[in-house]
Amino acid sequence: MISIVRAVGLCTIQDLGRRGHMHEAVPPGGALVPQLLVAANRGARNPDNAPAIEVLGRLVLRAERSLHVATDRDGSRILAAGAELEITSEPRRCAYLAVRGGIEAPVVLGGRGTLLCAKLGAPLRAGDQLAVADEPETPGSIEPFRGDGTIHVIAGPDLDAFASDALATLEQTAYRIEPTSDRVGTRLAGPALPRSAAYRERSAPMVIGAIEVPRDGQPIILGPEHPTTGGYPVLGVIASADLGRFFAIRIGGSVRFTAAR
Amino acid sequence: MPEWVPLGDRAIRFARPNVSVRALVRAIRAWPEVIDVVVARDDVAAYFAGSPRIDETRISALATLVDIDEPAREHVLRVRYDGADLDHVAQTTGLSVDEVIELHRSASYTVETMGFAPGFAYLTGLDARLHIPRRTTPRPCVPAGSLAIAGPYSAVYPFDSPGGWHLIGSVVHARMFDEHGPLLALGDRVRFAP
Repeated sequence: MISIVRAVGLCTIQDLGRRGHMHEAVPPGGALVPQLLVAANRGARNPDNAPAIEVLGRLVLRAERSLHVATDRDGSRILAAGAELEITSEPRRCAYLAVRGGIEAPVVLGGRGTLLCAKLGAPLRAGDQLAVADEPETPGSIEPFRGDGTIHVIAGPDLDAFASDALATLEQTAYRIEPTSDRVGTRLAGPALPRSAAYRERSAPMVIGAIEVPRDGQPIILGPEHPTTGGYPVLGVIASADLGRFFAIRIGGSVRFTAAR
Repeated sequence: MPEWVPLGDRAIRFARPNVSVRALVRAIRAWPEVIDVVVARDDVAAYFAGSPRIDETRISALATLVDIDEPAREHVLRVRYDGADLDHVAQTTGLSVDEVIELHRSASYTVETMGFAPGFAYLTGLDARLHIPRRTTPRPCVPAGSLAIAGPYSAVYPFDSPGGWHLIGSVVHARMFDEHGPLLALGDRVRFAP
């Protein structure tokens, strides 16, 4: 058993998300940075998809019995009964804590992670008690996480909604990650991405990593809890291989994009 | 050849063919490597486990899909017509509140699209006299279970959420979304009963 002593920011139980429910307007959800969840799980010798704790902010927990735990950054250790552990997402946007055996969480709609937009699970709060599950020991090698570098974008599909220099503007300057960002969308601040006057908004299918641009020109990058349809045009979509690197950038940090046209 | 565009490197988007929506979803979900589908009003997206493998003949074939050989599910939702915008809808449409309620209650609806929030079903079949644009200023919080209209659609909000539709009532004793998923699915028929 684990007791939550303090939770600051947004701390939830996450796995690798749900598939097959987007036609019901249920987004995939899952860890903001799947590679870091996998690193924590492998450190605890869990299957990659075992539920673990995602920390966007700071979490203090207490082991109610001796536990084998691992984070995405400091490897694994034994936490003695009664010992407390603090996990801080800095210097990244999120951190993961896995427990040998995984966190006990029911399978709902094919996943075990908290999905706030569908009221499946809830943010962790002080006083919560988490049970430890019995996932089989699964050896796996931990791959190093490279967090820096330019983020690659596939242009479109709504290029006709933008002025012809919008992609060049996106590439030219760094954008800052705004504190209003959450698991639904990451809000960026930087040079406005100009829309073309003729474009008429329509509700269209969305995808994680889509760069949606409201009328003010400040982009929103859709996260794992994104609405499955959205009304703002999409200038580009972050390459799937770069999604984890993008979502790992801390709030207040900056990001640079390069687009494949 | 049908046109499609990449939606990133794991999905494609193309124009929605004018066929049964439930047949459409079933057909696309059966494509190799497809893990998800979203059907919006004018567009469809197919989501793949890896790089999309595009077979344009499959996209072309969607245009001639026939409906699946099962009757559509039918729901009767108990509602109270007590929404905060009933008077506004009546004024805007030039109808009385009773006429607004009667026009909404007597129609038969179909789930044509799902989006916005988990389980949020866009219902077509709303009487044309009730087609009015959404509110100029959205409400920051519309309570779960609110029955609303905007444009050609009616819907029930599954969760507390911001919302720009006109509130005309609320469902009674129905949960629009729970741990089994949404109450309404694409292609379902819906009637409202006071």
